Amino acid sequence: MIQVLFYAGALLAGLLLSALTAALLGDPALGDLHLSYVLYVVTVAAVALGAAGPRVLKNSLSIAAAVAGVLGGAALVYIFLAQVLYVGTAMAVKHGGLAFLWNIPPTPADETGGIGPALLGTLYMTAIGAFFGFLIGFPAGIYLGEFRRELAAKVARIGVNVLVEFPTITIGLLVYALFSLLGMRAFSGYAGALALTIIMIPYVALFTAAAYASIAPAVREAAYAVTGSLYKTLFIVMRKVVARAVLVAFLLGTAKIAGETAPLLFTAFGNDYYTSEIFGVDLGEPTGALTLLIYYMAQTPYTVQNEVAWGAAAVLLWIILAVFAVARLLQRSA
Amino acid sequence: MIDIRDLKLQFDNVKVLDGVTMKIPNNMIYVIMGPSGSGKSTILRVLNRLVELYKPKIEGEVYLDGQDIFKMPLTLLRRRVQMVFQIPNPIPTLSIWENVALGPKLNGLAKSKAELKERVRWALAKAQLWDEVKNRLDAPAASLSGGQQQRLCIARALAFKPEVLLMDEPTANLDPVNTAKIEELMLELKKEMTIVLVTHYPPQAARVGDWVAFLYGGKIVEEGPVKEVFTRPRHELTEKYVTGKI
Amino acid sequence: MIKGLLASLSLVPLAIVALLITLFIAESWPAWEKYGLSLITTADWDPVRESYGILPAIVGTLVISALAVTIAAFLAISFVAVSYEFLPPRAAVVLGTTMDLVAAVPTVVFGLWGLFVLAPIMQAAQEILWRDLGWLSYNGVGPFAVEPRGGTTVLTAALLLAIMITPFAASVIREGYAAVPKEVVEAIHSITSRRWEIVRLKLAYIRQYVFSGLVLALGRAFGETVAVAMVVGGNFVNVIRALTEPGVNVSALIALQFPNAHAYVYMVPTLFAAALLLAVIGFAINATAVYFLLRR
Repeated sequence: MIQVLFYAGALLAGLLLSALTAALLGDPALGDLHLSYVLYVVTVAAVALGAAGPRVLKNSLSIAAAVAGVLGGAALVYIFLAQVLYVGTAMAVKHGGLAFLWNIPPTPADETGGIGPALLGTLYMTAIGAFFGFLIGFPAGIYLGEFRRELAAKVARIGVNVLVEFPTITIGLLVYALFSLLGMRAFSGYAGALALTIIMIPYVALFTAAAYASIAPAVREAAYAVTGSLYKTLFIVMRKVVARAVLVAFLLGTAKIAGETAPLLFTAFGNDYYTSEIFGVDLGEPTGALTLLIYYMAQTPYTVQNEVAWGAAAVLLWIILAVFAVARLLQRSA
Repeated sequence: MIDIRDLKLQFDNVKVLDGVTMKIPNNMIYVIMGPSGSGKSTILRVLNRLVELYKPKIEGEVYLDGQDIFKMPLTLLRRRVQMVFQIPNPIPTLSIWENVALGPKLNGLAKSKAELKERVRWALAKAQLWDEVKNRLDAPAASLSGGQQQRLCIARALAFKPEVLLMDEPTANLDPVNTAKIEELMLELKKEMTIVLVTHYPPQAARVGDWVAFLYGGKIVEEGPVKEVFTRPRHELTEKYVTGKI
Repeated sequence: MIKGLLASLSLVPLAIVALLITLFIAESWPAWEKYGLSLITTADWDPVRESYGILPAIVGTLVISALAVTIAAFLAISFVAVSYEFLPPRAAVVLGTTMDLVAAVPTVVFGLWGLFVLAPIMQAAQEILWRDLGWLSYNGVGPFAVEPRGGTTVLTAALLLAIMITPFAASVIREGYAAVPKEVVEAIHSITSRRWEIVRLKLAYIRQYVFSGLVLALGRAFGETVAVAMVVGGNFVNVIRALTEPGVNVSALIALQFPNAHAYVYMVPTLFAAALLLAVIGFAINATAVYFLLRR
């Protein structure tokens, strides 16, 4: 079964790659013989022989296919990252340089614009979502990790596992439905922050649970013996042991929710203006976010907005890469 | 016949074998014994070049019937020299039949489906497992007991019809009944192939072995016919080992 | 006491799930009442006549996910096999970090790149595929049977999705592959010394990790919204007949149609029905993944 998937995937990838190569080279042809035909035949032959040919060919062709897959995939990924960072940063520079970070987004009639309100929106909503998500997720995770044999923990764990994998658009809809039901205003930064909180909770809980569960029995017994109160054991002694893992979980979770779009579509909704004198952005109003800005402005027909979307993507990616790098460093030095 | 000449082996900077010379004639059970860490399992793994997985530094020469095993193609060597391990290790997700058939199939040892079936049946029968599994060849290997799994591994090795069977403490994890079955098997098999047995257990060596070599600190300290070495050990280390002091 | 507090907090996610299912059922009830099962078995999107059938989205979800997971299976297995068997350790680490990086990139950034870079190239590529392989069809239905009119099609979405979900499958498979016990490795090496056969046997040994990883990837594919919404083309009315046509999946349907849903009476409940479907199927898929992992 695994074999079938591997070779079927290789076939698909190979056909796509053949067509893409031919397309990139301008569809060259010798009379009626197109390059694409040649490439298809090569692909089909390679995959067929790799799957069912004589032993020597099976081995070498399968290895060749795997290597090609890795190279192709890696190439696509690096091209993707390089393009977003390079073109995006260039666009940000073009549209104001550093001021890009606080100017307001362009209307179709504008020549230039920035991502100010969206950046602030992302920062505020992510911060709130991360904070409250951690506040609930961390203790929940401790319970799941330390007391995992209890019935409540087993039941709770199911809920956590289900929630963590829910399509995030449903979380956004949940908050929307909830706010409508409670008669509250549907589109606001607070709604967005709530959606992000809900996404953060199970993520942090699972990581924390794993960290606490992996404390060596000897250390655990020592911790319990050193202090009489459960609270102190869990939150002070053991915390020191798992601090690094939990911090990494917090950082990765924050990066994750900073990059979410779907849950904000029907909660924060988006906003291209500064709505507050003091804070810049009023979370009680519809609020912008970097991800929302990219989503909307990429799909309009106006070049200036498309360019700002690229700039925003670069800014977002830099922020996430930075958080990712810090989390990696912390993990390594463990 | 296996001819080992002045074999030296080290991992990083730890010397595991320090100049071992051995001649193993055909159709006998050659036992290698010694305390833990003396290099016994390592010698076995040199004979089928499995040790190369762990990237050691090797000096010295090893010949199988006059051919240098380090110059032989690996696939050929592995066909002629097979191994049974201390912990039974069939591939649990594959069926009983597949575990035995895989070797011959991949190595082109059976020219037709019928030949393959016959070879698998022969190997399982020789390993004294056929009667117990003939009605459930498609069952996963994980469904067998420990003793059965070890016999399955022996069948897997036998399916190659090897010239040499390396056995690394094959009964260490089995109960006495299964141990007896496998020792009986060894005595049968030595008529058709050469068996090199590593064991921790002097009574086993006494029961099945023809010749024994004692390894200590990577060197052979004594060797000879089993009865002689066990009743009249010449080296003090041998005596200590046989009497259980080391 | 402390324990009680911790326990109650840990039940919060479960409460949220329960709340979600309840609210969605309530919100979508009018649509179920009005359309019954035809909501998910017919293909229609006519807001004016208030006639909806989300079959195109369901078919789209199945097709895009199946394609994406197949390609991702190939990429993930290739990645793990090549990392562990054919590369020097440093290169393998770089590859691994790249994978983790890809998993951290926001999906909307993938969508952006997909829309502006991938789609245009895919337009040319799909035209070639249509010209060369369009004859592979039955009654007008075939993988490349329809002339592509742009780059935003089901095929493009599937390819983009494949790149996005590969790291998730790969990290689960990688975990299993690295943990193959020494005895089994030695057994495999005594049966064969050919590299690819060794890979195949190791994969057979960690079968449940492979399936679990792929099911995990499938779950992500099902629920992916914005990247797909940006490159799939938005075809709500007809079920696709070829991969080179624009299409839609359930989550993209919700994302793309919700903004104007309030103008109509039954669109909002319909979209909530779609969301309910998404939640339930997402749950089922992940339950399967856990089941596979625990089976031994």
